Amino acid sequence: MARHLIRIALILALVAGCSAKQPAAATAPPFNATDVMFLQMGLAQIAEGDQVAALAAERAGDGRIRAIATELRGQWHDESGTMQRWLLGWQQPLAADPSAGVHAGHGALHALRAADIQDLRSASGPAFDRTAVSLLLGNLANCLETSRMEESGGAYPPTKSLAATATQRRQGQMQRLLRLAATQ
Amino acid sequence: MRRRFILPALTVAAITASLLVAVAPASAHGYISSPPSRQANCASGAVAGCGDIIYEPQSVEAPKGSKLCNGGGSRFAVLNDTSKAWPYAGVGKTVTFNWIITARHATTTWEYFIGNTLLASFNDNGAQPGATKQHTVSMGSFTGRQTILARWNIADTANAFYSCVDVNIGGGSTTPPTTPPTTTPTTAPTTAPTTNPPTTTPTGTWRAGTAYKVGDVVTYNGVSYRCRQAHTAIAGWEPPNVPALWLAI
Repeated sequence: MARHLIRIALILALVAGCSAKQPAAATAPPFNATDVMFLQMGLAQIAEGDQVAALAAERAGDGRIRAIATELRGQWHDESGTMQRWLLGWQQPLAADPSAGVHAGHGALHALRAADIQDLRSASGPAFDRTAVSLLLGNLANCLETSRMEESGGAYPPTKSLAATATQRRQGQMQRLLRLAATQ
Repeated sequence: MRRRFILPALTVAAITASLLVAVAPASAHGYISSPPSRQANCASGAVAGCGDIIYEPQSVEAPKGSKLCNGGGSRFAVLNDTSKAWPYAGVGKTVTFNWIITARHATTTWEYFIGNTLLASFNDNGAQPGATKQHTVSMGSFTGRQTILARWNIADTANAFYSCVDVNIGGGSTTPPTTPPTTTPTTAPTTAPTTNPPTTTPTGTWRAGTAYKVGDVVTYNGVSYRCRQAHTAIAGWEPPNVPALWLAI
C-alpha cells in the first residue's frame, strides 16, 4: 500500500513538474546571470558577515554595536532563506564554481579569512569594538556593491526588489557604523 | 518527457555563458574611517550632497601620484570641493588612521601628505594587508586645520586608493558631538524654504556664544545660512563647517 502511494505521488509530481515546465520550455528563464551572481555572492557575503555579527552581537562593549549586529543577523537570516530558495528553484548552485573565474577581478568574495575571525575573537575592550566595526563596514560595503549590481543589472523582479531592500538596509547600517567609527 | 531533462542543462549552459559578460560590480577596495575621511563623512550622512560616493566610499581609485582627494579621476570630484563644509576632526600631535579594507590588494606603500610634505610612508613590500589596517602618523610641526591626503599604492596595478582626512591638529572637532548627524536628513533643504522665506529675518553675522533657533538666518564670510536646529554656537561650529546646523541659502 505504502509503495503504491509513493508511486502515485511520484507520478503526480512528474505530471505537475511537466505542466509547470511547459511555459518555461517556450520562453527564456525569468532570471539572468546577474540574478544568479547576486544570489550566490550575496549568500557568501552574508555567511562571512554573520560570523563577525555573531561575535559582535554577543561581545561588543558598545550597546549600539550589539544592536546593529543583532539587527543584521535577523535580516540576513530572512534574506538568505529567500536567496537559497530562488537558486534551488532555478536549479542553480548555491555557490559559484570558484574555478569558473566569473568573479575574477571582483575581489569581493571571501574577503574575510579564518584568521580574521580569530583575531576578532581574541581581541577585547575597545580593540574588539574597533575591529568588529571595521570588519562589518568592509563586509557591508561588499554587500552594497552586489545589491546595487543586481538593482541595475538583474532581471527577475522579486530578486531586484530584495536587492533594493538590502541596499537600503545595508546603507542605513553603514551610516550608523561610520558614525560610531568616527569616534573610535 | 525527454525534453524535460535537456532543458535544465541548456539553461545552465546559457547562464554560464552569459555570466562571462554579466554586469560586474564597481571594483572596491578601501578608505579611512577614522578620523573620518571625506568619503566616510559622505557615507555616514555627516555631509550631504555627495552623490554616488555614499554607496561606495571604498572606490576612490585612480592612477598613482595624484595630490587630489579624488585621485584626479572624473568620478567623485565632489571630494575635491573645498567650498563644501567638510567637518574637521580634532586630533593630537599623532594620529592613528583606521582603514576599512574591502579587497586585499598587494601593496607597495601607504603614504600620508599635508600639501607637498610627506608625513609618513609605510612600505609593505608587495604584501597583502589584513582585513583591517592602522597607521599612527606624527603631524610634525603642523597645527590647526589641515587636510591630510592618504594614498594606498597597489603593487600589481597602476592605481592607488585616495582618502582625504580633514583634521584640526591640537584643536577640537568642528562636528558637533553626536546629535546633529542623526538629524541631517537630506529632506531638510526641501522643507525649510517653504516655512521660512529666505529673504526675511536676517539676524546678523554669525557669532560664537549666540543661542540660535531653527529658522534664524545669519551671514558668515558673505554667505547667508539658515539654522536647521537650535543650538548655542561655539568656535569651530561656523556655519560652513557644520551642515547639520546651518543650511547655506
